[in-house]
Amino acid sequence: MNRRAFLATAAAGIAQAQRGGRTPIDPAKLPPAIKNLRPMTDGVKPITAEERQSRIEKARRLMHENHLGAIVVEPGSTMFYYTGRRTPNSTLVIPAAGEVAWFVPENTADTPAGDVRHGGDSTKAVTQILADRKAAGRIGIEERVRFATYDALHRESPAREFVSADPVTIGCRVIKSPAEIALLQRANDVTVAAYRAAFSTLHEGMDQRELSAYIDAAYQALGFRGGAMVIYGKYTAFPHGSVQPQTLHDGDFVLVDDGCSVEGYQSDITRTVIFGKPTDRQRRVWDLERKAQDAALAAAKPGATCESVDAAARKVITDAGFGPGYKVPGLPHRTGHGIGLDGHEWTYLVKGNKTRMEPGMCFSNEPTIAIYGEFGVRLEDCMYITPDGARMFTAQSPAIDRPFA
Amino acid sequence: MQDTPLTEYQNQLREAGVQAVVLESGPIMLALTGVRWGKSERTFAAIIPAKGDPAWVLPGFEEMRARELIKPANADIRVWQEDESPYALIVKALKDRGVTTGKVGIDENARFFVFDGIRKLAPGLTYIPAPAV
Repeated sequence: MNRRAFLATAAAGIAQAQRGGRTPIDPAKLPPAIKNLRPMTDGVKPITAEERQSRIEKARRLMHENHLGAIVVEPGSTMFYYTGRRTPNSTLVIPAAGEVAWFVPENTADTPAGDVRHGGDSTKAVTQILADRKAAGRIGIEERVRFATYDALHRESPAREFVSADPVTIGCRVIKSPAEIALLQRANDVTVAAYRAAFSTLHEGMDQRELSAYIDAAYQALGFRGGAMVIYGKYTAFPHGSVQPQTLHDGDFVLVDDGCSVEGYQSDITRTVIFGKPTDRQRRVWDLERKAQDAALAAAKPGATCESVDAAARKVITDAGFGPGYKVPGLPHRTGHGIGLDGHEWTYLVKGNKTRMEPGMCFSNEPTIAIYGEFGVRLEDCMYITPDGARMFTAQSPAIDRPFA
Repeated sequence: MQDTPLTEYQNQLREAGVQAVVLESGPIMLALTGVRWGKSERTFAAIIPAKGDPAWVLPGFEEMRARELIKPANADIRVWQEDESPYALIVKALKDRGVTTGKVGIDENARFFVFDGIRKLAPGLTYIPAPAV
């Protein structure tokens, strides 16, 4: 799971509950574990211009294979992937042949280099770019382009077919290069450092916003932007928490989920830890959760279908009498998602997804066991596929009271 | 009965000859229903017919959290499981409200993939930008 996607657009629920009442913490009052953190920014290597250019070349190959004349992209992770920019209000056209071109309403210091059109409206400019590049046939629309943008293009050129650009954009983004894996590794390492410090501050009566604020402060000290969703007690059964305010008490599970961003690359880690002494039931369910996560890790390898990895984790949980399927008590969601420049991205570890795993793919591994009215347990680490099998970016949680090895 | 933002909007739809609108979270959903929901890759939509009650299509495992927000308590909420198509449920909800032809408004901030999923299953509808509130 990952909270930033829904935080970004003013999420209901937890996000609001936690952000709403939050006041910045006086740095002097931070616990030593947080205050003593030092930046982990050394040695981060941004994606090079050459690598971005090779992505555009791959996109062009995929456009030819999929009979697309061009793709149209608005600001977001795909624009950043190809260009290193998220220029506000811009539109990017990557044609199957010829130079990349932009529409940017006004010329500013941040305007990209190359063929940039200004003034007038984006629809006319993009239509002109498509004509200038002799983009023949169908035009691919990036998945998060707004309906209004598509609709205006369609009205301007009713004879043109506008289809999903997914085969191109996913085709590129789903396989990570060594440079991308290195950035993801750093993001994961930073999140472990932030969580490790934050978990050492747990105390009776702790407001969930206090823990969440410590994690924010930890990321700041570590030199990156990140945040976390914090859920306590019975609300841990809701995978994305509840709007109800929560304070920590003996015997509660503490669930912390989310991550940070390193050069745009996202981490996403969940730990569920007991505060105080666990009951036998809490211990049994926690151990089962860990076994389910192990099963997904073992099943993930080149050639395995994505759905088989979900099935492997789910089987551990349903064999113990939970479920079946998505029924609660049990695992109410898929086992994992792709991760890269978006916290959740293609492709997904879910029933029905027959995509075969390939080296360079990255996934979260996070089967939840949700028991409404009692608690939920989720352990989430991300993994990447190598020729020899799946490798975790982070060591798994060793025990119910030990989030990190 | 006193007009609410929702009934006023439905009047507006009828006057404009729009059968229904499909909304993602955003200003229109907030104004008509009071619901805010962070956009993720999992489709969470409100279907507002020109006549009849709204319907909601949302991820199964988010139902409990969504019910904390959606009013009334007996709202028409339809959930899709992770391996199911939310678009099939949206098209079914439209059909249940009698919308099988004519104009359907799409939230102008809705993402292309949501629209694309719907149009593939209901190519006979005419899609236009949803009228502003």
